Amino acid sequence: MASIVIADDEFLLADMLCMLLEDEGHAISTALDGEEALRLVREQHPALLITDFMMPKMTGLELAETLRQDGFKEMPIILVSGAQGAIARTRRELFNAILDKPYDNQELLDLVAKLV
Amino acid sequence: MSTLDFFDRQKVGDSITYLSVFQTLRNEGLESVVKLLRKEILRQNASLLVFDGLLNARDRAETELDVKTFVAEVQSQAAFVDCTVLFLTSTRDADSSPEHTMVDGVIDLCDDIAGARRIRRLQIMKSRGSRSIGGYHQYAIRSDGISIYPRLESRQGLQADDPVTTRCRAGVTGLDRLIGGGLPQGSVTLLMGPTGSGKTSLGLNFIAAASPEEPVLHFGFFETSKRLRLKAGALGIELPDQNGLTILWNPLVENLIDKLGQRLLDAVRTGGIKRLFLDGLGGFERAGAERTRFVEFFAALTNELRQLGVTTIATWEMRTLFGPALEAPSPEISALLDNLILLRQVEVRSRMLRAVAVLKMRDSDHDPRLHKFSIGRGGIEIVGPFEAADDAITGLARPEGR
Repeated sequence: MASIVIADDEFLLADMLCMLLEDEGHAISTALDGEEALRLVREQHPALLITDFMMPKMTGLELAETLRQDGFKEMPIILVSGAQGAIARTRRELFNAILDKPYDNQELLDLVAKLV
Repeated sequence: MSTLDFFDRQKVGDSITYLSVFQTLRNEGLESVVKLLRKEILRQNASLLVFDGLLNARDRAETELDVKTFVAEVQSQAAFVDCTVLFLTSTRDADSSPEHTMVDGVIDLCDDIAGARRIRRLQIMKSRGSRSIGGYHQYAIRSDGISIYPRLESRQGLQADDPVTTRCRAGVTGLDRLIGGGLPQGSVTLLMGPTGSGKTSLGLNFIAAASPEEPVLHFGFFETSKRLRLKAGALGIELPDQNGLTILWNPLVENLIDKLGQRLLDAVRTGGIKRLFLDGLGGFERAGAERTRFVEFFAALTNELRQLGVTTIATWEMRTLFGPALEAPSPEISALLDNLILLRQVEVRSRMLRAVAVLKMRDSDHDPRLHKFSIGRGGIEIVGPFEAADDAITGLARPEGR
């Protein structure tokens, strides 16, 4: 069991991902924007962050940049993104993995199992 | 969205951002959404905000005033930084929607069924500070986005044409003599006749008679460019090459009347067209979802063509091959036409003969007699007047003296 933070403004996607990972026995916290996710990570020091790209207040890219400068250099971050995968891939060093939406659930679960 | 031609993946996340404010709306209410939107507009340096789902905001609001306040606040925040706002909502009860009083413009999109087909129409219900053309306009959604076809009769000016006395050759041997020396330049002629009466052949002669200074447009519903050229070849009629002749084929499927009209007028303007053969006026009539509009539509179309100095021959297919009934288009349509020529087959002494009659030539002399014509090598040729066959025009002729 690991503690995981999910950041996605699409609450249906966040809920679905949350249930999927809870079924695997993980403890999940969800944030609906980048700032909230930053706060949760700082509070909880999770084993993994799964973040969307486009979110209110702070993008997934900005979130990752802040966290990497903020002492979270080793925490794995997975970016799941609709159309902005290409932008994120120019900053490859920030993320441990980049998944394009729609992604395969099993692929994500395998990735999570490898990272936590 | 990626099925649309103009979708550019590179722009998403860069110059276009998609954000969900649903949770903020649900958990914290309209005021928090306003705050969030203000921050996001500034953060993204946005010039356009599309707010999809104003109906959700209405559902969350406790009073109508709350909705109005929300709309006004979002607008003023956006206006402050020169950002245009587009609210999308469903027209549940369009007229009483409180937000309508707050915004600068309201565009109503509707989707109707006419017979078995679907017709998309929009109307500008409000456009503050700018003139709009009221009523419904058809639009279509294709992979290149939305195209709107304003009602032709609503957007054409009221300028009168400047009639000229110049005549242009009809291209049919012997016909110019019957119509006072040729078709008046810039006039609209209706060529009536049942199927097989020679309308398209006459059109080919008309097209072939164009001088190099008179670009021609064939706008039809029946023959493709290839078929038309094949037909001309079979008749030994030499058509201008593609520089001199534009052929636009509009299959008789689900057409939009204003789209057809626009296509026609666009082609006339861009090609500097001086001669137009419009094969199948009925194609326009069929494309119209509202039959009541056809007279006004046709008046606008013909006025525009006259103003552009286009000499037009349009065909009208009559249903009956023989018989006493001569159905012309409605009297209003006939009145809009400058000239009326009828083609028929008549029976004389148990033989079918082709007959042409000039029924109307606006402001010019014409030969009122019924004439025989033949279709052969080179197209149509007027042979000469009928001797005397009282009712030949109805197709029920009797020889003299019987």
